[in-house]
Amino acid sequence: MPIYEQNYRSYDGEAWHHFRWLIIVEQEVRVLIKQKKFLVLMIVGLVHLILRVLQLVAMDIIAQNPNHPLALTFKQFDFLSIDQRMFFDFIRFQGPLTVVLFLLAGSGMICNDFRNNIMELYFSKPISWRDYALGKIATLTGLGLFLTAIPALFLMMLHNILLPGAATFAQTITWVVPTILFSLLLVIPAALMVLACSAVVNSFNYAAVTMLMIIVASATMGTVLAEMLRAPNYQVISLPLAYNRLGQYFYGMRYPIFELDWYWPMSIFVAISLISLNLVFRKVRRAEVAP
Amino acid sequence: MSETVPCIEAHAMEVHYEDFQALKGLTCTIPSGTVGLLGPNGAGKSTFMKTILGYNRTTSGSLKVFGMEMPKAALAVRQRVGYMPEKEVVSPEITAVGFVTYLGRLFGMSRVDAMERTHEVLNFVGITESRYRKMETYSTGMLQRVKLAQALIHDPKLLLLDEPTNGLDPEGRDEMLELIEEVSNKREITVILSSHLLPDVQQVCKRILMVNHGQVVRDGTVEELTRRQANQFDISVRENIQSLIQTFDEKGFPWHAKDDGLLQVELPEDLEASWLYELARTHQTQIRHFEPARMSLASVFIDAIGRTPHEVALES
Repeated sequence: MPIYEQNYRSYDGEAWHHFRWLIIVEQEVRVLIKQKKFLVLMIVGLVHLILRVLQLVAMDIIAQNPNHPLALTFKQFDFLSIDQRMFFDFIRFQGPLTVVLFLLAGSGMICNDFRNNIMELYFSKPISWRDYALGKIATLTGLGLFLTAIPALFLMMLHNILLPGAATFAQTITWVVPTILFSLLLVIPAALMVLACSAVVNSFNYAAVTMLMIIVASATMGTVLAEMLRAPNYQVISLPLAYNRLGQYFYGMRYPIFELDWYWPMSIFVAISLISLNLVFRKVRRAEVAP
Repeated sequence: MSETVPCIEAHAMEVHYEDFQALKGLTCTIPSGTVGLLGPNGAGKSTFMKTILGYNRTTSGSLKVFGMEMPKAALAVRQRVGYMPEKEVVSPEITAVGFVTYLGRLFGMSRVDAMERTHEVLNFVGITESRYRKMETYSTGMLQRVKLAQALIHDPKLLLLDEPTNGLDPEGRDEMLELIEEVSNKREITVILSSHLLPDVQQVCKRILMVNHGQVVRDGTVEELTRRQANQFDISVRENIQSLIQTFDEKGFPWHAKDDGLLQVELPEDLEASWLYELARTHQTQIRHFEPARMSLASVFIDAIGRTPHEVALES
C-alpha cells in the first residue's frame, strides 16, 4: 500500500528570477524574530530611542515654552541640548548593542549552514554564491541600520516636527550625512567581520568569541601602547576609539581623542572590511564551485 | 526541450579535486527515464551529480544538461533540476514546512505558491502532522523524506538522488524506493539514482550506468546488460550429469552450477549448440532444459567493478 495519500502533482506556476538574495534576508529575519534574545536586544535599542524622544520633547517643547515651570531647568542642562553631539552619542551608544546583535545574529549565519549541510541544497536551487553572500550581508546591514541610522533619522524628523522652522531644518540637514556615514562605518565593517568569523570557524560560539577577541584585543593593545609609549596616536589601533575618532571627524567636533588624521582610522576600517569580504566570498564561493 | 535532446551528454569529462582526479574521461549519454548510477564508494558518482549541478568545474571534456553547456548554464539547469544530497541535512530551529517553503522561495516561487506546494510534496512523501515540528526532532527517515520533498518542490524535470536509502531501515528503504518509482513512472521526470546498493538500483531503474574509478564501465538497460550470451548455455539433463561435467573438464570448457539447479556451460566459438545434444546422446541421457544463458546483474557488477555487490555494500 502506498504511504502517500495523494499522487505527485506537477507545478506549473511562474518563478521569480530577480533579487533572490531578498529571500535570504526575509528568511534570516523570520528566524531571528522568533528568538527571545533578539527581541530583548531590539527592545533595549528601542528604550534608548524612547529616552532620546523624551529629550527632544523636553528641549523642543518644554524648554521652548517660557511659561513652563521646567523650561529654565532643562535649558541649564548642556548635555540635553539638541545638536550634532546628541546624534554622535546616540549612534555611539547604539554601537555596543549593534555589535552584540551581530554576535547573536551573525555568528552562526554561515558556519551553521555548512555544519548542517544546507549549502548543497541552497546551491541546487537557482541561486549563486553572490546571492547567498549578499543576502547574509544585507540582513546584518539592515539590522544594524535599524538600530543606528534609521532611528537617528527618525529623531531628526521628529526634531523638525516638534520645533518647525527654517533654522531647525538648516541645522538638521547638516547632520544627515555624518549620521549615515557614522552608522555605516559601524555597521558594514562589524557585519563583514562577524560573517568572516562565521565563515572561517565552524561553530557559532567560536565565531562569536573570535569576533569579541578581535575587538577586545585591539582596544587593549591600543590603550597599552598609547600609555607605555606616551603617544595617544597609538589609540588608532583600538577599534572602538578609531571609530569614535572618525565620528568626531564626521560631525566636525572639537577635542578629538587623538590627533591622527581621519584617513588613518578610516584605512583600518576599509582594510578590515576588504579582508572580511574576501574571506566571506572565498568560503561561500567554494561551497558553490569546488576549487 | 526537444524530445531528441538527451537529458545529459558527457564527453571525456575530467574533474579534479586539487591533486585528486575524481572523474577520468567519463563519457555517457543519459536519455529520459530512470537511470541508476551504480558503483562503490569513491567511484565518482557524487562528483558526477555535483558536476551536473555546476558545483564542479570540468578540467577537460564537456558536459551538456538538457542541451545546455555546463557550467555556463548552471543557474538555468538548476531551474530544472531537483537534488537530494547524500549527507544528512537539517535546519534544527525550523519546521519542515518552513524549510521546504524557504527552498521553494529560493527557486523563485511566490510565498503563497511555495506554501501550497510545500504541503503537496510533504503529503506526497508522507510527512504528516510532524511537519510542524522542529527538524531537530526528526528521525533519519523523516529527514530523508524532507530532502526528497525539497528536491520535488519545484517539479523538476531531472531528479538527482544521491544514496536516497542511506540510514533507512528496511521498511523505510522500501517506502523511499516506492516514492521514487511513483515519481519516475507516473511523471515525465528523469531520475538519476546514485547508489552502491545493487538491489536499490535494480528495483527502480530501467537503465544502469556502472561507474568505477571515475569512468563509466558499463552502460545500458537492464535487458542489454543481462543479455543472452552467444556461446553460454543453461542446461539440465535427466541423469549422468557427472559424466557430462567430466567431459567439460577434460575439454577445458568453463561451467558452473547455478542456484536454480541448472548447469551453465561456455562452449568455444567454433562449436554449435547442437554439440551438447550429441554429447548427451553419447552419455545416454537427455537434455531437459536448454536456453542461451543470461548474465545476472550481480555478475555484470562483478565483471565491471571487480568486487561482489555484497562486498561493496559492506565496504560502504
